[in-house]
Amino acid sequence: MSAAHGDGMVIAIERLVAMANQIGDFFAPYPQGQREEGVRNHLRHYWDPRMREALLAHLDANAGAGLHAHVLAATRLLRDEQQTARKAYAGPPPRG
Amino acid sequence: MPNPRKPDGSLVTTCAYCGVGCGFKAETIGGEIVRMIPWKEGKANHGHACVKGRFAFDYYQHPDRVRTPMIRSSIDQPWREVSWDAAIAHAAAEMQRIQAQHGRGSVGAVSSSRCTNEEIFLMQKFARVALRNNNIDNCSRICHSPTQFGLSATLGAGAASQHFDSVLQADVILVVGANPTEGHPVFGSMLKRRVRQGAKLLVVDPRRTETAESAHCKATVHLALRPGTNVLVLNSLAHVVVTEGLHDAAFIAARCHPAEFEQWRALVADARYAPEVVGPEASLDPADIRAAARVYAKAKRSTIYYGLGVTEHSQGSTGVMCLGNLALACGMLGREGVGVNPLRGQGNVQGGSCLGSWPHMLSGYRFVTDDAVRATFEQDWRLSLDPEPGLRLPNMFDAALAGTFKAIYIQGEDPVQSDPNQNHIVAAMKAMECVIVQDLFLNETAKYAHVFLPGSSSLEKNGTFTNAERRVSMVRKVVPPLAGLEDWEITVKLINAMGYPLHYDHPSQILDEVARLSPAYQGMSFALIERCGSVQWPCNPQAPEGTEVLHTQTFPRGKANFMLTGYVPTTERIDERHPLLLTTGRILSQYNVGTQTRRTGNVAWHDEDLLDIHRQDAEARGIRDGDLVAISSRYGETRLHARISDKVSPGVLYTTFHFAQSKANAVTSDLSDWATNCPEYKVTAVEVAKVPATAPASARARAGAKA
Repeated sequence: MSAAHGDGMVIAIERLVAMANQIGDFFAPYPQGQREEGVRNHLRHYWDPRMREALLAHLDANAGAGLHAHVLAATRLLRDEQQTARKAYAGPPPRG
Repeated sequence: MPNPRKPDGSLVTTCAYCGVGCGFKAETIGGEIVRMIPWKEGKANHGHACVKGRFAFDYYQHPDRVRTPMIRSSIDQPWREVSWDAAIAHAAAEMQRIQAQHGRGSVGAVSSSRCTNEEIFLMQKFARVALRNNNIDNCSRICHSPTQFGLSATLGAGAASQHFDSVLQADVILVVGANPTEGHPVFGSMLKRRVRQGAKLLVVDPRRTETAESAHCKATVHLALRPGTNVLVLNSLAHVVVTEGLHDAAFIAARCHPAEFEQWRALVADARYAPEVVGPEASLDPADIRAAARVYAKAKRSTIYYGLGVTEHSQGSTGVMCLGNLALACGMLGREGVGVNPLRGQGNVQGGSCLGSWPHMLSGYRFVTDDAVRATFEQDWRLSLDPEPGLRLPNMFDAALAGTFKAIYIQGEDPVQSDPNQNHIVAAMKAMECVIVQDLFLNETAKYAHVFLPGSSSLEKNGTFTNAERRVSMVRKVVPPLAGLEDWEITVKLINAMGYPLHYDHPSQILDEVARLSPAYQGMSFALIERCGSVQWPCNPQAPEGTEVLHTQTFPRGKANFMLTGYVPTTERIDERHPLLLTTGRILSQYNVGTQTRRTGNVAWHDEDLLDIHRQDAEARGIRDGDLVAISSRYGETRLHARISDKVSPGVLYTTFHFAQSKANAVTSDLSDWATNCPEYKVTAVEVAKVPATAPASARARAGAKA
């Protein structure tokens, strides 16, 4: 992914963490499961891969410091999801 | 009065100013435009016009128009005039050099909503086939991107549900964060006409706008909420609807996902959204919130119109969803006289959204990550496309500052003046190695450009515009392009120079390609639009001449969705150092950043941006009407002359942003909508102070603007 899009940081990690948490704040009222899935879908289909990779690197290097708990969980889903591609959607996160 | 001179030519075309998209007959004498006559057959305007479309056309031949391409090696060098071929070759070589050095993702492009559908479509094609990435964005990023997101999430289509004429059948008109009588004057007049006929008007806006109160039009309820509390107040309206049993159970059962309705009902029924709790936080009388909700929900036909006062917030997309939820709950969709309708800013900003000028979506609002969607484009364009979303405009600027984004091709946009936190944007521009600006004028952004490609105005080209009611109308070449090329021709040259062979004889062939690749535009063609005058999408075999009202039988995804819209206050807060909230807007006679209208006689009506301040706040600071004041935020400072006004509440300031030297965006923050990064223009914590008379009056130095 990096090779195609160029290397290096695109946005400072503090800003990415703030943006991810803002997304998390929106999905917070959803039940557990849906909440994480909503954040995952958004990060996967709206964020440039370099932004996602920076967030994943932050997960590895700093245990995702600063991320809200459900955003942290969503970020982990993002990694799993790279093997199991789910189609993007615009509405509410599906149940189950 | 002497008889006007008789024109020797005339062509019907579409105004490029606001999203109403009025039809005009442009009359010429000896190849020069002399008059713009409102076109009676225009389905958006029915022969009406405003002072912008009617009179502000002279910019097209203003001496400031650039007529020759120019290049320079660095921004401290003077411009050097070159041939078109030399400019295009230089721009392409620079883009390719930078991609070779810094990676495929180190360059991007931005399209213009003042350009045609065909030109916007070509800009995203440029990014995808020439840059081979998805770093393409459009100016709705900074205005109505939350509309596309919020309405897609709830209703399934990111556009207005109604045609403009539908307002004439409404019993209740709810206007949220918009001032159509100034921002969208021709539609505003129609709205006022309906109010005079007896429709009730509800206004949600921090200011006592001309829409809320004027000689012939007064809101039944005006909720003058504190800037930043939209979602709180809209949830409170919903709270009243569901707790008083005013929702339309039959509509919800038939047209919406019931489990999601129950989930949403539980959220908004929570005590924290009761008007009695929300009122004090939003500076509103709880009785007014209850009254507004009852008026909206109980009418037979209630309709919603909204603007940037909803979208330009950290919860902009959530605010749009609140409107979708409210209309669904009350069954106000799928008929004449109801609906949810964004009032789009620029003439073709709906087209900007439809035509795939997005980093994450191809035309027709389909995700670039969808293999099947991408495949249709790959087959037509005969190459593989990047399957990953690209950078959005604000991400591009962030990446420029981080040193990983090095070049941008900007068509008809002026981010340095129009985008938030100006200091940040300027630093990003300076960090880039190649900035290509294609515009009519050397705008603020051109100060940081290395290549200038002189574009053509909407009076100098053929193509189509899509207005805020999804209406696709013809734009016709009334006069030849001053610099020789229509904008689409420039982009085609650049795509070819980047190594992708491409040729069109006429823009109609580009619209044919759009139709081939975009379901909503499936039946569109120049021939059809010529025959019908204008056509609203969706246009397909089921609706061969277009569609006036959306969602009549089903929603695009079958059933509609209620979205959960919890209120999250913005982090932009007032404190002791910044105790006032600044919000921004537009006035009737000028248009956006004023690139065009400032260069016309319309400056007679408005030649300076002023700061509206309530008497109480002014007196506390020793500020008198007309004083020069300094406005400072956490991000920057600017100066304006103060105007004591009762249109704003204590604690709230307001200004327009039509003049570059006002630098309204020197003070705005880089906070943005959670979903789309649409900037939070509408809420900035500031302090104001009178500037001593001895200080240099920079705000008075307006010579540049009038030149």
